[in-house]
Amino acid sequence: MKNQILKPFLFILSLSFLSFGCVEDSEKDEPTDSNLDREVLLANWADSFIIPGYERFDQKFQVLKTEAGDFQQEPTTQSLQDLREALKAAYISWQEVEMFEVGPAEQVTLRNFFNIYPADIEGITSNISQESYNLNLPASYSRQGFPALDYLINGVAAEEGDVLAFYLDESEGQQRLDYLMTLVGRMNELLSQVLVSWKSGYREQFISKTGLDIGSSTGGMVNAFTLYYERHVRTGKIGIPSGATIATGGNVNPDKIESFYYPSISRELAITANRASMDFFSGKSSTGTGASFKSYLNGIEAKDPSTGTLLSSDVLAQFELVQNKLNALNPNLKDQISTDNSAMIEVHTEMQKLVRMLKVDMSSAMSITITYTDNDGD
Amino acid sequence: MMVTNLKGSISHYLGQTSSAAPLVVFRMMFGVLMVASIARFWAKGWIEELYLNPSYHFTFYGFEWVKPLGSFTYLLFAAAILFAVLMAAGLWYRLASVGFFLTFTYIELLDKSTYLNHYYFISLISFLMIFLPANCMYSVDAKRNPHLQVNRIPQWTTDSIKLMVLILYFFAGLAKINSDWLVEALPMKIWLPAKNDLPWIGTLLNQTWVAYAFSWIGCLYDLSIGFLLWKKKTRVWAYAMVVLFHLMTSVLFPIGMFPYIMIGTGLIFFSGSFHERVLQKIQHWFGGKGNHFVGVFQYSSLPRKVILSLFSLFFLVQFLLPFRYMAYPGELFWTEEGYRFSWRVMLMEKNGEATFLVKDQEGSLAQVNNKDFLTPLQEKMMATQPDMILEYAHILRDHFESLGWVNPEVYADTYVSLNGRRGKRLLKPDVNLALEKESLRHKDWIENLDDEIKGL
Repeated sequence: MKNQILKPFLFILSLSFLSFGCVEDSEKDEPTDSNLDREVLLANWADSFIIPGYERFDQKFQVLKTEAGDFQQEPTTQSLQDLREALKAAYISWQEVEMFEVGPAEQVTLRNFFNIYPADIEGITSNISQESYNLNLPASYSRQGFPALDYLINGVAAEEGDVLAFYLDESEGQQRLDYLMTLVGRMNELLSQVLVSWKSGYREQFISKTGLDIGSSTGGMVNAFTLYYERHVRTGKIGIPSGATIATGGNVNPDKIESFYYPSISRELAITANRASMDFFSGKSSTGTGASFKSYLNGIEAKDPSTGTLLSSDVLAQFELVQNKLNALNPNLKDQISTDNSAMIEVHTEMQKLVRMLKVDMSSAMSITITYTDNDGD
Repeated sequence: MMVTNLKGSISHYLGQTSSAAPLVVFRMMFGVLMVASIARFWAKGWIEELYLNPSYHFTFYGFEWVKPLGSFTYLLFAAAILFAVLMAAGLWYRLASVGFFLTFTYIELLDKSTYLNHYYFISLISFLMIFLPANCMYSVDAKRNPHLQVNRIPQWTTDSIKLMVLILYFFAGLAKINSDWLVEALPMKIWLPAKNDLPWIGTLLNQTWVAYAFSWIGCLYDLSIGFLLWKKKTRVWAYAMVVLFHLMTSVLFPIGMFPYIMIGTGLIFFSGSFHERVLQKIQHWFGGKGNHFVGVFQYSSLPRKVILSLFSLFFLVQFLLPFRYMAYPGELFWTEEGYRFSWRVMLMEKNGEATFLVKDQEGSLAQVNNKDFLTPLQEKMMATQPDMILEYAHILRDHFESLGWVNPEVYADTYVSLNGRRGKRLLKPDVNLALEKESLRHKDWIENLDDEIKGL
C-alpha cells in the first residue's frame, strides 16, 4: 500500500527534475537570459550609474568646497565669480544623482538636505544670527542645500559689489561666511557618507537582493525612480512653478522655480534631470550601454498584447517628447512662465503621461509588489 | 418513466451510507489548518495592519454594517481560533462550527481589499460543516455521549465537501479558458520571470514556453483534478499532482496557506479504510486504545429535509454565481462586475493609479492625497476596481462635507493597465461620483476596454 502511494510521487518528482535538468543545460546560452538577470542589472546600476554618478558629482562638489573656502578667506569679485561657477556646475551635476535615493542616500534622506526649494530666507537669516541651530529638523530642510547656497551666493543682492558688502559687513559678515561654510561642510559630509557606504559593502548588498518584493533592490529602485520623476521633476520643477498642479489652484509661482536666484540655469537643471532619467532608463552611461529598465523590459517581452508595441519604446518616445518640449522653453523658466506659461503646462501634461507609464505600466510589467500580504492575483 | 427513474436514483443515492472516517479526519485537519492560518495571520501583524490601522474600510454590498471592533477585533480572531480548536477536538461541535463560520466570515467581510477566493472557500466549507455529522467519532462529544457514536454516515454529507472542492477547481479551470491565459500566456508571462532568481528553476522561468506550459497545464489541471480525485482509479496519481502543483504555486506566488489547505482538503477523496487507519494512528499518538464504533448516523426527518433543501439551494447558487458576469456588458476583467465569488484566481496582472479631485459650489478645490485616507494595499486594490473607487469617492464626499464643504463633487482621474495592455482611463473623468449610487446594476461610467478578451 505504501509503495503504491509513493511510486507515483517519486515518478512525477523525478520526471520534473529530469525535465528541469535537461532544459537548463540546453538553454543555458540563451541570449535573452542575461537581460533578465537582475543581479547583472543591479550591478550595472551600481557600477555605471550610481557610484560613478556620485563620484562625478563629488568632483564638482569638491571644487565648490574649495571655491567656498577661498571666498571665505577673501571675498572678492573674482572669488565670488569662481564660487558662482562652481555652484552652477555642482547644481547641474546633482541632477544626475538626485534620483538614486535608495540604500545609503535613502537612509540619510540625502535629497532633504540637498535640494528642498524654495529656500527659506527668513529661516536662513535667523540661523545666521543664532549661535546654534539644528539642521536636522524638517523645518530646516529649506535652510540648507543648493537652494540656500543659491540664495547666499546669488541672491543676497543684485549687484556683485553689494553681495561682497553683505559678507564684508562688520557686524554680521563673519557669521554669514561661517553659515555658508557650515552648509557646504555639511553637504560634503553627507555626500561622502553616501559614497563611502556604496564603496565599502553596500554595493554587494544591493546587487544581492535580487527579488522584486518590498526590500528588494529592484523594487526599491523602481519606487525611488518613479517617485523622483513624479514629485521632484514633474511637480517640483514644472508643476508648482507653472500652477499646473491642482494643489496650486492654477496660480503661477515663478518664485518657486529651482535655482530661483540664478534662473538662467533653471531650464538646464530640468533638462539635465530629464536626460539623466532617460539615460538611466535606457542604460546609456559614460561607459557605454548596459543592463537597464529598457533591456529588462525587452527581455521579459513587455509589450501590449493588443497592439504588440514594446513598452520600452513607448516610454523612451515619451522621454524624447518631454526633452523636446523642454528644449523649446526659455532657458530662464521664470521668464517662460511670465511670457507663455501654456508651454510649461504642456510639459507638465507630457511628464504626467510619462509618470503613469513608469508607475503603472512599468511596475506592473515587472511585477513589483508593494505589500507583504497574501494575494491570489485579484 | 424517466422522472421516476431519476427520482429513484436520487433517493437511492441519498439513502447510501459510507464510512464516517473521511469526514472526521477532514474535521480535524480543517480545525488544525484554521488554527495555523489564523495564528500565522496574527503573528504577521496583519490584524493590526489590515483591520486596525486603516481609517476606512471597503465594505461588501449589503454588508456595510460589518465593522471592525477596535481592539476587540483581536478577540474576534481569538474566538475563531478557539472555535477551530474545538472543531478539531470535536468538542461542542455544533456550537464550534457555527461559531467558526460566523467569526471567520465576519472577519472576511470587514474589508473588501483583503478579499481572497480561498477565504471565501473557507467560509463556504465551514458553512457546510455546520450541518454535517463530523463529530460522530474520534471526538470529545462522542466520547462523552455514546449515543453519538457511529461509524457510518450518509454518503452525501462527505460528498458535499468533495463537490465544493470540485466546484472550486472546475470553475477556476473554466475561468482560464480565455485568450489572455491560453493564447498570450498572460499573466504568467509577467509573473514567472519575476521569480527568475530562484535556485534550480530560476532561469527556466524566463522561457516563454514555460509560461505557456504553466498556463495550459494549470487550466487542464483545474478542469480535471476534481474528477480525477473522485475516481478511485486515478486518485493516487491525482493527489500526487495536487501536492506537486500546490507546492509549486506556494514557491512561486505569495498565496499564503492556500496550497496547504488544498493539499489537506484533497485527502477527503481517499477511501474510508485509508482514513480509518489515519484515525487509528492519531489515536495511537494520543495514547488511546483501539475504539470500535458501530452504527449509522441518521438525521431525523425534518432536519434532513431542511438540510437537503438548503444544500440543493446552496449548490445551485454555487453553479450560477460564476456566470452572473454574463448579465453585465463590457469586459469582465476590466469592469470586474461579477468577478468575485467565482473562483477567478491568478488571472490578471492589473495595476492602476487613481487621483481624486474634490470641489464644491463655493469654489473650494482639493486634490486628494490617497495616503491620507488609505493604506498602500487599499489604495492599490481601489485603483483598479470600479466599485471600490465609488466607495472611496463617497468616503471623500462625506469627509469634505464634514469639513463644511457644500455638496462636494468628486471626480476620479484613473489609469489602469490590464495584463500588459498600455494603461488607459478606467472611468469617465467627468462623472461626479458623489452622486452615483452603489448597486448591482451596471456602472455606465466605466470606460470601455476597447479590446476583447475572448472566452469565458
